[in-house]
Amino acid sequence: MPPIFREIFSYTMKTTHRFIVLSSLAATAAFFAGCASEGVKNPSGVPVTQMNPDEQGYVAGTGVESQDLVTVTDKMARSILSTPAIASATTPPRIVIDPVENATRFPIDKSLFSDRIRIMLNSKATGRVIFLARERMKALEHERELKLSGQVTSSYDPTPVAFKGADFFLTGKLEGLTTKTSAGTSDYILYSFQLIDARTSEIVWEDSAEIKKQGLEDAAYR
Amino acid sequence: MASRAPALPRPGGCLKIMLADATYDSGRLTLRLFLRRGVVALLMLAAFESLTGCMDEVASRPAIAYTGDPIVDGNAERAAAPPKDRALWDDRIAATALRLGNFDEAKAKLDDAILQGGGIINNTADAAKARSLFHPEDTKAFIGEPYERIMDYYYRAILYWRDGEPDNARACYRTGQVLSSDVEKHEYKSDFVLLYYLEGLASEKLGEDASDVFARAQALTKRHLPPYNKDANVLVFAEYGHGPVKYAGGEYSEQLRFYTEESRIRSARLTVDGHKAWLPPYDNLNHQATTRGGRVMDHILGNKAVFKGTTDTVGNVALLGAVVAANQDSRQGNEAAVGLAAIGLISKIASAATTPRADIRTWDNLPQFLSFAALKLAPGEHSGQIEYLTRDGDPDPDLTREVTITVPADTSANTIVFLSELPH
Repeated sequence: MPPIFREIFSYTMKTTHRFIVLSSLAATAAFFAGCASEGVKNPSGVPVTQMNPDEQGYVAGTGVESQDLVTVTDKMARSILSTPAIASATTPPRIVIDPVENATRFPIDKSLFSDRIRIMLNSKATGRVIFLARERMKALEHERELKLSGQVTSSYDPTPVAFKGADFFLTGKLEGLTTKTSAGTSDYILYSFQLIDARTSEIVWEDSAEIKKQGLEDAAYR
Repeated sequence: MASRAPALPRPGGCLKIMLADATYDSGRLTLRLFLRRGVVALLMLAAFESLTGCMDEVASRPAIAYTGDPIVDGNAERAAAPPKDRALWDDRIAATALRLGNFDEAKAKLDDAILQGGGIINNTADAAKARSLFHPEDTKAFIGEPYERIMDYYYRAILYWRDGEPDNARACYRTGQVLSSDVEKHEYKSDFVLLYYLEGLASEKLGEDASDVFARAQALTKRHLPPYNKDANVLVFAEYGHGPVKYAGGEYSEQLRFYTEESRIRSARLTVDGHKAWLPPYDNLNHQATTRGGRVMDHILGNKAVFKGTTDTVGNVALLGAVVAANQDSRQGNEAAVGLAAIGLISKIASAATTPRADIRTWDNLPQFLSFAALKLAPGEHSGQIEYLTRDGDPDPDLTREVTITVPADTSANTIVFLSELPH
């Protein structure tokens, strides 16, 4: 074999050796790295984390979440109390909650909103407004009938109707707008609430909150 | 120097011959031995790793004592399945529960499935694994293809109607439309007729004008959609035929494909108090599954398949080169043979470890056709008969069943009738 070819062959062999070593190491590292990464992130699980309901957790979507509920209902409760119809009322107005309408794309338990507004007003502004438990009317009427028929005792005369009428209706609506492109999904939600005068049908108070979220799913799910 | 060196024994030959050769420099011999042993050890390790995988992935499946009750057995399967398949079993059980009239069970399972797949899923370890070269796609948690996810919402909406929550039913239809829109083909619109038609019906029931949604629904089908009847108090949801089943195609099973079988049943007819209500096929899940554009994951699986094929070819070429070099009967040839064999084996192992297999977990008890009709019936009990009709319009007598519809005195609520050709 001519010397020049021997040199080339020798150089090639050295390179081959290096390549063998490097590729073997790389392959082994890749296999080990693959196993380590798949494995098990958080092998012992993730302990339960207590979070404030108004903070975003690591499990998130673009829909209605607890932090939105807290933000919106806090704002609405404060806003209702500052409205003249409530703030300057000589006697505490009686309010009936009319179910919130969900016009978004997210099925939700709508009563959460009106319930939290009611709880906030009852607990933080005791006595300034009174809510009527209309959703319990069936049980209340049944109780009254039992008292009227003498099947149960009564500490008052059950004959006259004592169920109070509403001065105002509190209601709301959730509306949404969704955009979906290859860049991700975006959801805008408008939360609007109204206080309606039961006698005149006038809207005496209205306020709203807007929340927009967007995100892009892992490529494995796109 | 090279010409003086004796030929190396062939790979796999007796080491003693090599050790006995006095012409070998001891340092080079040590290096060569180290290299050979090192390469062999690494290859064996890598092969072992690729063949066995990580031990934590192998989980024994508890034995199931089947009872014959599809819901009980489905729940047992769900309990025995890995967590990544939980939503799949939720879906299957929910469909069965709906058909058997166990609406509470259906609701619980659909809520769980929606909870798992309803948000924006990212930063999850199993999804990252599914994208990696060495794991199949079904490593990720199942949430279903768009048509399957839509059916979660479609079925859940029926239960919202039943609970007197048409606005939440409408929310389900709207999410279904978003899921149905095809972003991959850049056609951001859905072609699922009932999602629009029923959204409009819910809006009408809520006192809103739904003429635009009705027009959109009508534009999606050649069939004449019945105009909304706000006074209708009985909503009939019907389904017939068998839905799509996934299978894997392509050289490395990297392509997600659908097996569809055209249903013998092409429509249904509900007769109540002598009046006939037609239940034509408004939506076809086979069409929904097969006409949607590709997935991003298809590109990833395609790349995995290319990598698998390339490394396999490189392995073949290198191993063939190793054989040719080994036959040179020279030391250089043998050294080259060892090197090429090592490269070939590493490539072959990398190829064997690459798993581009597509996820073919299927919600396998879905129907092919979906239909709907709205009726106005007086409060009380009504006897009826459901017939499933073939392409020729003849009822299949084996599928004809008697139905009883009970309309409550409270006319504000809607009565829901769910009719399925599928047994469970």
